Amino acid sequence: MTDTLNIRDLTLDFKGHSGTARVLHGISLRIGRGERVALVGESGSGKSVTARIVLGLLQELRGVRVGGTVEFDGRDLASLTRRQRAALRGTAMSMIFQDPTSSLNPVYPIGTQFTEVLRRGEPGISERDAALRAATLLNDVSIRDSGRVLGSYPFQLSGGMNQRVMIAMALANEPALLIADEPGTALDVTVQAQTLGLMRDMVAAHQTSVLFISHNLGVVREFADRIYVIYKGRIVESGTTRAVFDAPGHAYTRALMAAVPRLTGGGIPEIDDASADFLAPAVLHAEAAP
Amino acid sequence: MKRTLFILLSNPLSLLGVILVALVVLCAIFANVIAPFPSHAGAVVDFVNFNKPPQWPSIMGTDLVGRDIFSRILFAYRISLVLGVVVLSIAVPVGVVIGLAAGYLGGWIEYCLMRLTDVFLSVPPLVLAMSIMGVLEPTLLNGMLAVTAMWWPWYTRVVYNITRSEREEGYVLAAEVIGAGPAHVMFREILPNCVPAIVTKMTLDLGFVILIVSSLSFLGLGVQPPTPDLGSMVAEGARYLPDSWWLTVFPALAILVAVFGFNLVGDALREILGAEQ
Repeated sequence: MTDTLNIRDLTLDFKGHSGTARVLHGISLRIGRGERVALVGESGSGKSVTARIVLGLLQELRGVRVGGTVEFDGRDLASLTRRQRAALRGTAMSMIFQDPTSSLNPVYPIGTQFTEVLRRGEPGISERDAALRAATLLNDVSIRDSGRVLGSYPFQLSGGMNQRVMIAMALANEPALLIADEPGTALDVTVQAQTLGLMRDMVAAHQTSVLFISHNLGVVREFADRIYVIYKGRIVESGTTRAVFDAPGHAYTRALMAAVPRLTGGGIPEIDDASADFLAPAVLHAEAAP
Repeated sequence: MKRTLFILLSNPLSLLGVILVALVVLCAIFANVIAPFPSHAGAVVDFVNFNKPPQWPSIMGTDLVGRDIFSRILFAYRISLVLGVVVLSIAVPVGVVIGLAAGYLGGWIEYCLMRLTDVFLSVPPLVLAMSIMGVLEPTLLNGMLAVTAMWWPWYTRVVYNITRSEREEGYVLAAEVIGAGPAHVMFREILPNCVPAIVTKMTLDLGFVILIVSSLSFLGLGVQPPTPDLGSMVAEGARYLPDSWWLTVFPALAILVAVFGFNLVGDALREILGAEQ
C-alpha cells in the first residue's frame, strides 16, 4: 500500500540579498495510511515550513528553492501543476492552525464559512443540504446546539468552540491527510486536551493520516503513533512514540525531554542552546511491525 | 442595524449630522418643488430685481442679474451631490481594486501600483485637478474626471494598508490552505474586512468632494455658468463684499452645512463600525 505522504531528502533554501540560506537540510519522513505522525522540534527548526511545502504553498513563492521529493498518495507534488496542487488543498489535504479564532473570517457567520468548505468538496451542494451536513459534522465534535453555532460569528464563540468548528471543517471533505500545526496552542490547557482527544477520535473514525506539528512533548506522547524529532532543519531521531520516549537515543531529544516542566517541581535544567552533540547523526529506531 | 440607528440618533452631534445631511439630500432631490423660482437655475435675467438684499419672496436676496439665490443654492446642491456620488462611485472601486491587488499579490505588482499611487498623492490635489482642467475643457464632465483622478489614490492607500495587515491573519492562510485562489481571497475574504473603513471614508469624502468641486468652480475651472454652483456663486459675490454680503454668505453657508453634515455622519459611522470590529 502506498504511503499517504512520503518525503525524501527534502531541502529548502531561501534566496536573500546575501546569498541563499538553507533551512531544511534534507529531511525524510513518511506517513502511512491512517497513521498519526508527529514532527517535534523547537521554534525555527523547520516544522511549519515542512507543512507549507506539503501543502504546496511555499513552492509558489519567489526566492524559494525546494529540493528532494514529496509524494502525496504516490504522486510527486513537483510533477503536478500549480492548479493541480491547488485542487488537492481543501479536498485531499487540509490543515488546522494554532489559533482557531483568527483562522475564521470575522465578517462571516460560521454557517457561511462551513458551506464554503463543503462546496470545495461538492460544488453543487444546496444551502439546505450544506446546513444539514454541517450540523451532522458539528454533532460529531460534540457541538449539540449546531443551529446557534452556525448562525454565530467567530468572535461570539469561545476558543474551544472555534477549535472544534475548525476540526469539523478540516475533516468535512474526508481528506486523506490532515496537517495540524500546533493545534490549540492559543487555547488553555484543559480545552486543548479536550479538543485533542476529540481530534484523535475523529481521525481514527475517518482513517485520516495526520502530520502533527508540535513542540509539546506531552501532547505528542498522547496523540502520535510515531515521532520525528527535528533540529535545525535535520531529522535527528525517529521511531515509534514508545521507542523514542523509552529510549531517547539522540542528545537533542534528551535535551528536549528534559525541558518539559514537571509537576513534581525541580525547575527546568540548564540546557545549552546549541551543542556539538545536537548535530550528531540521526538515531533511527526500528519501525514498528506494520 | 437597530444598534447603528440607536447610536447614530442618541449622540447629539451625530443626530445633528444626520439632520443636516437629510436636509441637504432632500433639498437636492426636491429642488424644483421647494425652489420659489425654479427657472432661475438657468440663464434668466430679471433686471428689475437685481442685487436685492434678503426680502420676501427672495429670502436670501437676488444676484447681479436678479436671480433668486435660495433657488440657485437648491439646484447647486443637486449638482454637487450628483458630482460627489459619481466621483466616488468611480474612484472607490478603482482605488479599492488597486489597493487589494497591491496589498495581497505583493512583489512587482505591489511595487508598480503603489509607486503609481504615490505619484498621484505627491501632487497637491487642487493643483492636479487644476492642471487636468487646464488641459481639458472646463466642463462638468471633465470636472468629474479631474476630481476622480485625484481621489482614487486615497482609497488605494486605505485598502492597501488594511490588506497588508489582514493578509497575515489566520483566516487568509486558512482560505489558501483549502485551495482558494487570489480573487476569492481578495474579494471574499479581505474586502469585507475593509468595508467599514471604506464606508466611513466615503461619507467623509462626500463632503470633501463638494468642497473641492466648489473650490474648482471658485477658480473658474469647475461648473460653468449659467449652471448654479456654490463655489462659483461665492466667487462671483466676493467682488461685491461687504456691501452685497448676501451674494457670498448664503452660498458659503450652504457649503458649510453640507460639508459639516457629512463630516459629522462620517465620524459617527467610524465610531460605530470601529466598535463592531
